[in-house]
Amino acid sequence: MPRGLIHSESDDVCVVTTDVQKGEEVLCAYLEKPASHVMLKSLDDIPLGHKIALRDIKAGEKVLKYGRVIGIATKDVMKGQHVHVHNLRSLRWGRR
Amino acid sequence: MMTIKGYVRENGSVGVRNHVLVLPIDDLSNSAAVGVAKLVRGTTAIPHPYGRLQFGRDLDLLFHILSGTGANPNVAGVVVIGIEDNWANKVADGIARTGKPVEVFPIEGYGDLKTIERASRKAKEMVQEASEKQRTEVDISSIVMSVKCGESDTTSGLASNPSVGVVVDKMVDLGAVAMFGETSELTGAEDIVAEKMATPELREKFLKIYKEYVDVIEREGVDLLGSQPTQGNIKGGLSTIEEKALGNIQKLGHRKVNCVLDYLDPLRREKGGTLCFVNTSSAAAEAVTLFAAKGSVVHLFTTGQGNIVGHPIIPVIKITGNPKTAKFMSEHIDVDVSDLLDLKISLEEAGERVFNYMLRVLNGRLTAAEVLQHDEFSPIKLYISA
Repeated sequence: MPRGLIHSESDDVCVVTTDVQKGEEVLCAYLEKPASHVMLKSLDDIPLGHKIALRDIKAGEKVLKYGRVIGIATKDVMKGQHVHVHNLRSLRWGRR
Repeated sequence: MMTIKGYVRENGSVGVRNHVLVLPIDDLSNSAAVGVAKLVRGTTAIPHPYGRLQFGRDLDLLFHILSGTGANPNVAGVVVIGIEDNWANKVADGIARTGKPVEVFPIEGYGDLKTIERASRKAKEMVQEASEKQRTEVDISSIVMSVKCGESDTTSGLASNPSVGVVVDKMVDLGAVAMFGETSELTGAEDIVAEKMATPELREKFLKIYKEYVDVIEREGVDLLGSQPTQGNIKGGLSTIEEKALGNIQKLGHRKVNCVLDYLDPLRREKGGTLCFVNTSSAAAEAVTLFAAKGSVVHLFTTGQGNIVGHPIIPVIKITGNPKTAKFMSEHIDVDVSDLLDLKISLEEAGERVFNYMLRVLNGRLTAAEVLQHDEFSPIKLYISA
């Protein structure tokens, strides 16, 4: 059973569907073709519904989910780290 | 052909509930309206804080919402109470065009107690008349439904919203009407919604409405960071408005949007099914209130973290894809699709589950929000009063 889901093949993040503890292995399945998946080690405690990075993301890089830009990384994020408001911000609002 | 059992009203529209409404025109009339509802079993009062010294488009919108709520096919008859009878008559005229019984009771010159007595006598008659109305078999295409999400999280975009999208596709294909809104919460996906428009004219109208809405926010010298995503959204894992919007639009399904309604536009059905964008605020009760005023008789409301909204006259069906919310707020949840997260069921199966539940509600089953008396009636106010 997957513990995370990825909306689109080009996505940089996976949504965990159970609470995940730091150090645990997480299997993320692709929604579009559930048979394919990636396995990665979580570097943080990540609550159900929150995002885990599928690759190393540099500060200033755009972050994709649903195959679309959902914001920009505000600091370097390592593969397996929690991606949320502490390291990701909107490109639409919050720039003032 | 698929049928449900509904109440066919005088003008041919179909309701799925049979309320007698006690409608206050203004804040001052709430006490009398609530007084009637206390005396007469089977009546529903909908108190609200507005209706004095409003002007222009804001006043027109209040009249539109009050008339539209009374005209809604879930309502059998309406007792209107206003401090004076001029505005009350305007609202009542809008309701009377449907052919259903409506009567106005002004408070000035009578006082609350005499008004409550006069209005109660009429309300009693209306309840007894309504009690004889029967549900009859009607085509499901006569149903007007609406959708909105609230206290969303990432499970909304993964599970509950796409499940509702399946239902929206199905209802539009069956010839029914589905409405969606939440103008500001489309930010980050407004281009996708614009692409769904059936004609260039509709696309232009939609983008104009969207831009005007965002301009109002910017005119206040703020952006919505801190409000959008909400604290509940953030707790549930949504990081930005773009991410929230991309999850939000999963519930629109895959059909073309062939109807765009600004605040004051009345609903018009298109042949072969209607999918309507309605300019609404993204606040749950305000949006559901406006959908009901436009004629929606049932609402599918998806939630991640557990929004508990209801409406006094239309059943609001609560759907969640979050297993914790389904477990810890179970009394509010009508349909749990969280097993989609484990890929134990397909999206089509989840959609079918929501659709079948909606059929039961259309046929009379009460929703969690109805039983728990979530009767939120929240007219949208556009600006200051005089």
